[in-house]
Amino acid sequence: MSTGLDLPADASLEVTDDQLEALVGDRALARDDHKNAPGFVIRPDDVQDVLFDLRDQAGFDYLSCVTGQQYADRYESVYHLKKYDDPTQEVSIVVPTSTDDPVSQTAAPVYDAANWAERENFDLVGIDYEGHPDPRRILLPETWQGHPLSLDYNQEKPQVVTLAEHANPLQADQKDSETDTMFLNIGPHHPATHGVLHVKAVLDGETVVDVDPDIGYLHRCEEQMCQQGTYRHQIMPYPDRWDYVSAGLLNEWAYARAVEDLADIEVPEYAQVIRTMGAELCRIAAHMLALGTFALDVFGDFTAVFQYAFRDREVVQDILEDLTGQRLMFNYFRLGGVAWDLPEPREEFFAKTRDFLDDLPQKVSEYEDLIVTNEIFQVRCVDTGILEPEVAKSYGATGPTARGSGVDMDLRRDDPYGYYEHLDWDVITEDGMDNYSRVLVRMGEVEESAKIIEQCVDLLEDWPEDEREIQSNVPRTLKPPADTEVYRGVEAAKGELGIYIRSDGTDKPGRFKIRSPCFHNLSTLPEMTEGEYIPDLIASLGSLDIVLGEVDR
Amino acid sequence: MSGAGLLPVPLQDAEPLLPERLGELTGLDQLGMGGELIATFIAAFIVGNLMLAMTGVAGPWAKRKITAAFTDRIAVNRVGPFGLLIIVADAVRLLAKELIIPENADRPAYDLAPIVVASSAMLGFAVIPMGSGIHLADPEVGLAYVFAVAGIASVGLVMAGYASANKYSMLGGLRAVAQNIAYEIPLVVTGMSVVIFAGTLQMSGIVEAQAETLITLGGLDIPMWYAFVNPFAFVLFLAANFAEVGRNPFDTPEAPTEIVAGYQTEYSSVYFVLIYLGEFLHIFLGGAIIATIFLGGPAGPGPAELGIVWFIVKIWAVFLLTQWLRSALPRVRIDQLIEIGWKGMLVLAFANLVLTALIVGLLEAELALTMVMFP
Repeated sequence: MSTGLDLPADASLEVTDDQLEALVGDRALARDDHKNAPGFVIRPDDVQDVLFDLRDQAGFDYLSCVTGQQYADRYESVYHLKKYDDPTQEVSIVVPTSTDDPVSQTAAPVYDAANWAERENFDLVGIDYEGHPDPRRILLPETWQGHPLSLDYNQEKPQVVTLAEHANPLQADQKDSETDTMFLNIGPHHPATHGVLHVKAVLDGETVVDVDPDIGYLHRCEEQMCQQGTYRHQIMPYPDRWDYVSAGLLNEWAYARAVEDLADIEVPEYAQVIRTMGAELCRIAAHMLALGTFALDVFGDFTAVFQYAFRDREVVQDILEDLTGQRLMFNYFRLGGVAWDLPEPREEFFAKTRDFLDDLPQKVSEYEDLIVTNEIFQVRCVDTGILEPEVAKSYGATGPTARGSGVDMDLRRDDPYGYYEHLDWDVITEDGMDNYSRVLVRMGEVEESAKIIEQCVDLLEDWPEDEREIQSNVPRTLKPPADTEVYRGVEAAKGELGIYIRSDGTDKPGRFKIRSPCFHNLSTLPEMTEGEYIPDLIASLGSLDIVLGEVDR
Repeated sequence: MSGAGLLPVPLQDAEPLLPERLGELTGLDQLGMGGELIATFIAAFIVGNLMLAMTGVAGPWAKRKITAAFTDRIAVNRVGPFGLLIIVADAVRLLAKELIIPENADRPAYDLAPIVVASSAMLGFAVIPMGSGIHLADPEVGLAYVFAVAGIASVGLVMAGYASANKYSMLGGLRAVAQNIAYEIPLVVTGMSVVIFAGTLQMSGIVEAQAETLITLGGLDIPMWYAFVNPFAFVLFLAANFAEVGRNPFDTPEAPTEIVAGYQTEYSSVYFVLIYLGEFLHIFLGGAIIATIFLGGPAGPGPAELGIVWFIVKIWAVFLLTQWLRSALPRVRIDQLIEIGWKGMLVLAFANLVLTALIVGLLEAELALTMVMFP
């Protein structure tokens, strides 16, 4: 289709506001700009039309998040679009639907990422997506009554869903079916599901024919809990509990960044350096765990690699404990800074951190001996769990999962926040697209994180004593103006952890939406594993490094 | 030095077997057949208990300690000295657990499987010469007998996998069979190369054949253990043996992260103990076979009475190796495992057999020639 527009040929080039407006054209009913991006309101039956245009003509190839929410007079789906080449270019497509008949056209044919995201919106908010390929609930049981985040939902009434009431995955017809395949429930209690994940697999012998991850076993209403807490103090502890395997500070940063952008809060540079250092320590701890558990999946037991990874992670945990006072649920970031300065005596803290950094190269080379260069490991991991870059993009995969497929995106570099842009480090990508590449990316990122931490320690050591401002002035009660909307992501250990907040004029968010990287990474599992063997399914699952606390929220 | 293949049939005045010695010692042999039978039972009881003490009691404790050492941990150290009393605690715990039997289990098969698995390994120990006169029976088909009874375990594994009415068990059972068939052949064929050297299947004969000195290095006599004579066969046999007993990197039938625990998923309490014991027994039986046909059996420095000590040391060395591999190596995938078995091990095993036969044949011919020329 020719729009007569003069759009840049290179997707990474900026699409100006005017060009966007011209592209959407008269399909835009109104503008609804968000703090982070221009927004267009469109009709529910124009969704695919507009999104196809934006994807194919303006290069918005990354559906980052789909937020669903209910206002007093309407339902709304918000499609947060970005570009993999330049995630600072964003556009929001707002699709309102009436309260009586909340039906909106699905975006699944445009972006595979919309599949799961829209299922979640249907499940929690109650928006129906017309033409959706798989219109089922995703987090709650099939028999659940009502949609918990809709306004008329009775929050007081408990719903007990017994096991017997769950839809039985082993339907009667499968028992005498003519096929030669076998249906196998992997999980929710299984040694390799990294939590309570339930994978419904159909096998032909040892070959995986069909995979359907069934999530929601660890759903804890995190979004709603955040909507019931005050911005200033009550929300910050929750992010620690999403990706709970030592990625706490990275999660906290996602919340801090979103609210700081929402309420225009400045963060002192000193605090940014501390944040950067803390976040990278968390990333090392998280990647060590990912490495250990992946080895567990491939080696098949709590073997040396797992134990070594935990031994080394323990050192990071000690440093984080010194810094934050906690080992897991840090609650260290504050809006506009961090909770407190580095622990005294500072020299001791620096020495400890430097010791860790000095020991790290030797440890990394140990892992290289044990894992990377091990021939059996290579036989197991190379060319298994293939995730093509185009598929990864369509599913909204981010983090090491995407970078292992050669998708060169890292929000720390491409959408800078904190102190990253002043530091010298590299983004690691691998072109193998397989389980092996994802391991290599994580190993490489551990080394890059160490580089960042070292530079942060250098900076902090020389920071003049009278300029150590750890928090800016933030009002005791934070009330961002009503109907301000922002979507912000940070590069967490697993990928882009984004948060959408709509303020309603009170001191609590009107809508708090979490864009979980694990959620979208996990949705690529069927693409990676169908046609492979069960052991590869397990290895691929391990290589995605999902944390169910973040998938289910 | 006489050629390896030329060893005469073992002398009939070999060391008396344990039942005979017991019969003499207690006077039971005076009582005719019945007495001999009783002596045999007592002897079997002694050997059985020795093996059970090693595998069922010391094994799990040692396994914990060894694995812990490999993986930078401490392991049991609270109950008794070095945590030794954990053995008692474990026994009580495992025996006191509820025996849960799945509703759809195929009963006789489900109950029999653990017994088959455990007893098949026990039977194998009957023909192993353990030194210090601990040797139950010495049939002429000794080595074939060991392979045969050890192979019965596969039947037990299939029974367990099938009768449990569990898909993971089923997958595990199928994997176990596929793996055992694929590796039984290279194992036996490699074993045959030893038979060619020794000229006999009899275990005592194989041990005796290794007693001679292969070469003297700096005053040190290197015995003619087949591990030194044919290291290639030794490594092949070790690898096939690990696959046979289902240890890393070939532990696919159990593969906890893939198929939960394979054929033993549905077993609890005493049945679980039996299956677990069966596995340990098989590892130790594997060690015993390796010690006997490749490491000179009970041979070692010091008086012959120390034989059993050396023998146990050799078994434990093999056990240690299994734990080492388990801690350090990833598991191969089931299709890769089968591929290694049929396309790699089998070919190598036959190559080894043919080569051994050629070499032994040539040596023999040469020897025969010298004997004709210089009678």
